[in-house]
Amino acid sequence: LFYSFFKSLVGKDVVVELKNDLICGTLHSVDQYLNIKLTDINVTDPEKYPHMLSVKNCFIRGSVVRYVQLPADEVDTQLLQDAARKEAMQQKQ
Amino acid sequence: MVVLKHLPPPTEGVRHEQTDTTAVMDGQRLGCGTLYVAETRLSWFDGSGLGFALEYPSIGLHAISRDLSTYPQEHLYVMFNGKLSEENESEMPEDDSDSEEDRAITEIRFVPTDKSALESMFSAMCDCQALHPDPDDQDSDEDFEGDEYDVEEAEQGQGDVPSFYTCEEGLSALTAEGQATLDRLEGMLAQSVSEQYRMAGVRTDESTAQFEDGMEVEAEAGQFEDADVDH
Repeated sequence: LFYSFFKSLVGKDVVVELKNDLICGTLHSVDQYLNIKLTDINVTDPEKYPHMLSVKNCFIRGSVVRYVQLPADEVDTQLLQDAARKEAMQQKQ
Repeated sequence: MVVLKHLPPPTEGVRHEQTDTTAVMDGQRLGCGTLYVAETRLSWFDGSGLGFALEYPSIGLHAISRDLSTYPQEHLYVMFNGKLSEENESEMPEDDSDSEEDRAITEIRFVPTDKSALESMFSAMCDCQALHPDPDDQDSDEDFEGDEYDVEEAEQGQGDVPSFYTCEEGLSALTAEGQATLDRLEGMLAQSVSEQYRMAGVRTDESTAQFEDGMEVEAEAGQFEDADVDH
């Protein structure tokens, strides 16, 4: 489900927060393991990780992602909630 | 102080080999050597046979750095979760249940003499990362991928190798059936987005009525096709 969800976000600006606090930029692509490729990234907290300032494209392993911050107007939370609920019910059966 | 080990370079499954590559670990220049992007692990060795190897599941992020104002040369930046500068190479912070995951990281830069190779180095690493999915990745995604797998295979025409879905790549790799599915989804997505904007302007009971309408909900649920298997 979330693979499809992220596919619908391809091309949008998101902020990816990693488990070690690094922050990134625009979602370019995603794969079935939820590894993420970002293009045109901006480091939101430059003091902590100066090395990323010169990076434009990066590949992020799915397991190091803590959060993906989404633009509120790109997501229909009601729909997502319903879909997630449905899938949870399907899996229990 | 980085401890280099005398390891044999990988001989099989080497996706990319880059000679004349300098490795810099946490700011410490290790010298000039050869980088091997193999399917099993990422490794680097200097002229005397000493080097290090990184396991892909522990590589959190890799990227191409081209901005010369922050680092004087274009290079491949790799963020490795763990510390190589200690004797105990396999020590993971997860052992301590109270500490947060992946706190200790090692930043490594690979500076090739041949800058044009950076793209292929990056791509090779992306491919190899995809070959090492996390074993304890959750639950619902695993089952979910079992159902979704057929649809994705039909769309992408790929075998076991997971592939990235992007705006451009996805479109060119789609079969006719996949394209039809994509068109349907995009249509529904556009429909749901435009309805959102309409509802935002009109805050009356009509907006809730739209949601309660069974047909409307089903059409919008198509946006997440995998959730609704009976679709």
